[in-house]
Amino acid sequence: MTGCPSVVIGHPRPAAAGPLRDVLGRLGIGRVAVVGSDGLADAIADRESGKPQLLLLHAGLRGFGPELLAELRAEAHLHDVPILVLGRFAGGRQRGDLMRAGATDLLARPLTLAELSARLSLHLENRRLDRSLQEVIRSLRTYHHDAVQRMASAREMQLGLLPDATLRRSLEGRYGIVLDSHFESSSELGGDLWGARLLDDHRFALFLCDFTGHGVAAALNTFRLHALLARTDLPADDPAETLRALNGLLVGLLPEGQFAAMIYAVVDVAAERLVYATAGAPKPLIRRPGGGLEVGPSCGLPLGIAESVQYRNRSLGFPLGSSLLLFSDALYEARGWDGGMLGYDGLVDLVRGLGDDIPERPLGCLLDRYFATMPPLFADDLTVLWISRTGRPPPGPD
Amino acid sequence: MAGLARMAFAKLDESMDYTVRDSGDRRELELRGQLTFEADADFREILSGWEQGGIAECVLDLSAVDYMDSAGLGLLILANNAAKRAGIVFRMRHPRGQVRELIEISEFHTIIPCEF
Repeated sequence: MTGCPSVVIGHPRPAAAGPLRDVLGRLGIGRVAVVGSDGLADAIADRESGKPQLLLLHAGLRGFGPELLAELRAEAHLHDVPILVLGRFAGGRQRGDLMRAGATDLLARPLTLAELSARLSLHLENRRLDRSLQEVIRSLRTYHHDAVQRMASAREMQLGLLPDATLRRSLEGRYGIVLDSHFESSSELGGDLWGARLLDDHRFALFLCDFTGHGVAAALNTFRLHALLARTDLPADDPAETLRALNGLLVGLLPEGQFAAMIYAVVDVAAERLVYATAGAPKPLIRRPGGGLEVGPSCGLPLGIAESVQYRNRSLGFPLGSSLLLFSDALYEARGWDGGMLGYDGLVDLVRGLGDDIPERPLGCLLDRYFATMPPLFADDLTVLWISRTGRPPPGPD
Repeated sequence: MAGLARMAFAKLDESMDYTVRDSGDRRELELRGQLTFEADADFREILSGWEQGGIAECVLDLSAVDYMDSAGLGLLILANNAAKRAGIVFRMRHPRGQVRELIEISEFHTIIPCEF
């Protein structure tokens, strides 16, 4: 016989184990090894070919007892193999000792062949189910492990779409601004994207986009948008025209019911103005040098819904000392513990609560205050940008 | 109400329920609660009823919707497209509070007529 037998019978008189072998044969178990005490070690030795489905030990086997059961259980490849003991048992203590030492079940004689068959059948079926379950669990673990790795890799790719440290330093140094950002997905991947680009010596563009939904589908759309934004024929210094062009590219590209809310802004530090256009995006919040707060207007059809949409440019003064707060809708649509929506009024209060002497990068403080009053669980992606015109390059490695 | 066929539906879930009123070939659909992703399955069920024909006009009454998010806007797009396919004149009516503000910010009234 090659490979490991399906069932190993340890019997004091192997020649007398015919009835046991017959019962197993009728249960479809053809590979049965019947061994005496001397052959047991060889029969159950760990083999590459596998391990037995079941051990059936006769209590009359020489050397049988709790110690033998414990030794068998200590074998790594036998730790989950059913071990049945067939014999006459003196009483409850002996039965208890055998069960504690590792017996799966005790087949107390006298026992009819029909009973024996039913008990063996039950344990063999349990063993098959257990192995199937273990295989499913192993398969799911492998799938989960691979899925987690793939999602982590995809998340790294998505984070790679955002402005890197070099671009941030370049923006801050060139235009005398401080750019603070917070990007948080509701799951591994999200539907938000923000970015910035240098236009000329005194202008830079900034955008924040929020695709419907979240997760993988929304994230795929952010990659689409990122690729579209890389096109050199976009009128990048004209927000309304940029949105119009992007809308034309996204219509027909997005599935029905999916769209993107987006704000695109151009900051001109020489003219001290902010020009922006919105496509269904939340209203921007501007903090004036004296601390006054203004919620800018916003209207425009989200991108990807209808063809030939015109967008409008809005122009606001943006002098030194001003700050601009852009955010995805999760920030102001979030509901507090009382069920009430934060809204723009709540957001204004939140920013006002920072006081007059706000930190240079205030988002950490702002969001700490925010999460202190709002439930922590988001069902949406959250992106927040804070741009302050300081007029000087921020301290840093450059 | 005379001449009005009223079909009342049991509450569908915690976030949204609705009532359909048919009067001739005009259907009024009153939504209540929150129009979010949670309403997706129910909303699609509503739209599937349009394919059976017999409706020339559908008015979506939003006066009792107290919250809508971008997923809710997506459902409005689905409804608008379904209406076009079925040859139904579709419009919205009486959005309030945050729902009205979201419709105005997103200019959805430019693609779906809305009576404010």
